[in-house]
Amino acid sequence: MLRYTLVRFLSLCVTLVAASLVVFLVVEIIPGDPASFMLGLNAEPDTVAALRKELGLSGSLGSRYLDWAGGMMVGDFGRSYTYRVPVAELVVARIQVSLPLAFYALLLSTAIAFPVGIMAASRRGSILDIGIMGSTQLGIAVPNFWFAMLLVLVFAVGLRWFAAGGFAGWDQGVLVGLKSLTLPAIALAVTQASILARVMRSALIDTLGQDFIRTARAKGLTRRQALTRHALRNALIPVLTIIGLQFSFLLAGAIIIENVFFLPGLGRLIFQGITQRDLIVVESVVMLLVFAVIVVNFLVDIAYALVDPRLRIRQ
Amino acid sequence: MNLLEVSQLDLAIHGTPVLESVSFAIEHGKTFGLVGESGSGKSLTALSLVNLLPPGSVRAGNGRLLDQDLFALDESQLCSVRGREIGMIFQEPMTALNPVQSIGDQVAETLIVHGACSRSEARNQACSKLERVELPPERFPPGMFPHELSGGQRQRVCIALAIALQPKLLIADEPTTALDVSTQAQILALLRSLVEHDGMSLMLITHDLAVVADMADTVAVMESGRIVEAAPTEQLFRNMRHAYTRRLLKASFHKPRRGRLNALHDQPLLRVENAVRSYRLPKSRLFSSAETLRAVNGVSFSLDRGESVGLVGESGCGKTTLTRAILGLDPLQGGQISLGGRPVLAGRKMSRSLRRRMQVVFQDPYGSFNPRHKVDRLVAEPLHLGDQSTNSARRREIVAQALEEVGLTGDDMKKYIHEFSGGQRQRIAIARALVTRPDLVVLDEAVSALDVSMRARILDLLAGLQVKHGLSYLFVSHDLTVVRVITDRVLVMYAGQIMEHGKTEDVFRNPRHSYTRQLLDAAPCIPRSWMQG
Amino acid sequence: MKLPLQLLAGATLAAIFVIAAMVSFAWTPYPVESLNVAMKLQPPSTTHWLGTDHLGRDMVSMLMVGSRISIEVAIVAVGIGLLLGVPLGLAAAASHRSKLDEIIMRGNDLVFAFPALVIAILITAVFGPSAFNAILAIGIFNIPVFARVSRGAALSIWTLDYILAARVAGKGTVRISTEHVLPNIANLLVVQGTIQFSLGILAEAGLSYVGLGAQPPIPSLGRMLADAQTLIYTTPRLAVVPGLAIVLTVLGLNLLGDGLRDYLDPRIRRARQ
Repeated sequence: MLRYTLVRFLSLCVTLVAASLVVFLVVEIIPGDPASFMLGLNAEPDTVAALRKELGLSGSLGSRYLDWAGGMMVGDFGRSYTYRVPVAELVVARIQVSLPLAFYALLLSTAIAFPVGIMAASRRGSILDIGIMGSTQLGIAVPNFWFAMLLVLVFAVGLRWFAAGGFAGWDQGVLVGLKSLTLPAIALAVTQASILARVMRSALIDTLGQDFIRTARAKGLTRRQALTRHALRNALIPVLTIIGLQFSFLLAGAIIIENVFFLPGLGRLIFQGITQRDLIVVESVVMLLVFAVIVVNFLVDIAYALVDPRLRIRQ
Repeated sequence: MNLLEVSQLDLAIHGTPVLESVSFAIEHGKTFGLVGESGSGKSLTALSLVNLLPPGSVRAGNGRLLDQDLFALDESQLCSVRGREIGMIFQEPMTALNPVQSIGDQVAETLIVHGACSRSEARNQACSKLERVELPPERFPPGMFPHELSGGQRQRVCIALAIALQPKLLIADEPTTALDVSTQAQILALLRSLVEHDGMSLMLITHDLAVVADMADTVAVMESGRIVEAAPTEQLFRNMRHAYTRRLLKASFHKPRRGRLNALHDQPLLRVENAVRSYRLPKSRLFSSAETLRAVNGVSFSLDRGESVGLVGESGCGKTTLTRAILGLDPLQGGQISLGGRPVLAGRKMSRSLRRRMQVVFQDPYGSFNPRHKVDRLVAEPLHLGDQSTNSARRREIVAQALEEVGLTGDDMKKYIHEFSGGQRQRIAIARALVTRPDLVVLDEAVSALDVSMRARILDLLAGLQVKHGLSYLFVSHDLTVVRVITDRVLVMYAGQIMEHGKTEDVFRNPRHSYTRQLLDAAPCIPRSWMQG
Repeated sequence: MKLPLQLLAGATLAAIFVIAAMVSFAWTPYPVESLNVAMKLQPPSTTHWLGTDHLGRDMVSMLMVGSRISIEVAIVAVGIGLLLGVPLGLAAAASHRSKLDEIIMRGNDLVFAFPALVIAILITAVFGPSAFNAILAIGIFNIPVFARVSRGAALSIWTLDYILAARVAGKGTVRISTEHVLPNIANLLVVQGTIQFSLGILAEAGLSYVGLGAQPPIPSLGRMLADAQTLIYTTPRLAVVPGLAIVLTVLGLNLLGDGLRDYLDPRIRRARQ
């Protein structure tokens, strides 16, 4: 297990370095001179020179990359050109919205998908199964930001159960904060829950056809016991893969859906960064998102080994 | 008094009858053998008893276990019969265990689901059950997982969990078919001791007449869903009443008539000299250096033109690795192989003209063909080794001729492979091997997946083709009986080395090496005295 | 007879959408370029079946032209994924456990760390917004998806005896990959293709909704939803209609994909015969 974890961790580090190189390459090299790019065509040479100095563009590419990457490791993302504050400050405030939203949605989708998928698999072919499969088919087809609009229409405008948008903040208590993230989280979770429930169902059905289920039944386990004690854990392996993939979809989805609910998350920061050509903000936020995806995939890899002893290597 | 009595068992799956009025009885503490070829319904008979049938099955008849009417039980009552009164083990030990649960837990579960004892007590019991099947806790702690065990060891775990509650009846469905001869002998000995010492009755389902002769007190023979003949074992073998039983026995000892070829001994066709091939094993520790396994460790032999040589050994002995090197699929790390005096090299380094002199027939009649191509394209594939000038009309002619030689017709060319039976597919594989007019055909377990009657016919075909085309065969197999009837010389391989080689009959009659003796002793056989007349 | 029905329903839904988009090249009920503020926000009627939007454009025409971008982006993105991903996957499988396999798989992991949205953000930040960004972003995202699927499927084909037989017949890696492996994983690729196609439509809608995709005045379904958002309290129709169009299309494609999978799966097909 230790060896496996170490190998996965090394692979995480390699991917992280490679990803940061890609981001650095795209943002700082492809546009030519980032300073004149950020200031636009009509900028005075003096201003450009000043910005170049501020951005530390004088050094070689290698040293610039090392400065940037080294800075990020200690939480220094540079200064935003438009906001005139350290990017870290901007990010810290906004990540408190986006990341909890993505995890909230992940939790919701898993909490919905597991029982639904299990029910469908254990009553394969029944009316219930057909109903579940039909509604998940629909759930997958719904664009989450559009579904978010419908939710606003019904629960905020119509029933007035929730605010139509905005974020109450975490200072007034966790529940208040969670409440303002609930509609967005539901909108995000519906698609992912549908996918996950289908994967869960088909993984379970595959597993239920395996020889070891017959062995379990021959031991005297009921159909239900064979499912919960033997099939479920084996079916988790493909399900985990999907959960890992889903996190990146949810993070991207969270950024898009912030628009519908006027949430002050990373989405707004990054879209403003794009329109104002604030490359430093874009670069940092992108790197942060990529970092989150890579870390979650690492965690999923570790979870694999917890579920499947074949991945652990005996010491 | 009988332990189990089944009468007039009928079974239909989705309306198709698969079992018809099957009746038999099993006595206390006795072994009942049920033999038949694949598809005869022997497994379904066993599954009918505990109602673990595939969906769409309709069952009728009577089944009594002591005073219990098995067919009248509801699902929850059946759950308490399964595992407690009837234990079951199946053919494929590699997949029969839950890969993510430790072996101890899987054995303990039988005790726990039937409420036989507490969880902690069950763990202790599991250890003693594993010890009963000769997996002592010092070497096989209950925390081990199935993937850490060999096939034979896994089958022992399956037996342990099936007998954990001392069931009255143990059903073993082809329990040793997937195992090597020596492992088979050990598992059969274990099953025998369970019957003798633990007072269980055993229902042994197999396709192998020798296994039932060795094990069973009474035998029933099944053919397409019916029991055609049943009798005490010795009586059945001495006095076979039904034609099918006789056919089955004849087929399993079938000796193809082999014409004599004038083997040319001046220059060997195939020469293997000091062949070495090793694999790197996965590292056991993070920073330790990787260990290597010498799968083929200094093997030398030669094969003459027109000769048939058998290469026998159990799984893991290195025969597959050696075969792949001979076929030029993998490179050697030491030594050399030559065909007709020219070196055999891996991959594209070997010239086409040399490659076409050697062809192969594999074991699996299902995996050996690309399902998307028609038979003409499948059979013609090796022709690409020949002259580029072969036009399509000539190609068709060659393919048609090859198909006719193996007992099919030219019209079969336009069919897809799924339209053929297992035996026909092996014929097509042979046709494919013949189109380049090779000198050497490697038969890699080529008849191992076939039922005995089909196997007999394919062996006849191979013997005929050998004379007709002056072929040399390298017959790679784990099955000693087959090798004995089709080869002139035999090589016995163990742990990467040739332990013994010599004329086939000599080796079988007077094995010199202890491993060969062990191998021959392990193979179950029908007593000679039973088969007189 | 559930399976052909599913296939039929999916194909019909998807076809309606594709045909409507194709027809829009030649004809739309009203031109989408001309704005007619006098006719803005008309409710559905016999002249405007689905009404008009906030700039007086006919909704039916907008949907027809808007679908065009969706299809274009999704098709090209699937094409990029197939053309680059499948050869990579086949090469990785053919050289299983070699350096090449390792490099391809690590490269896959790297691209997987960039969700399509993040790629689009990076490209837009540097090159400015356009529909091309969406194609590129979704296309790049598709590459590791196809590479992974084809590698996995190809690996199981490579273990079969007919591959060995082909090697004994002297065929090289490339010929084996194209003659034996590719045809046998084609079903899977078709199915994955329809899935990625529908994901592409969803992703394109999302990207153009946040302004990273097609730019005005080109109509796109995502853009229509973004425009409708401010009017959602007064005229929900403007948001509901394009959204439903997306849902029905994606639903159609998914049904088609599932139907194809069942139809092409020889195991299921044999059971049906």
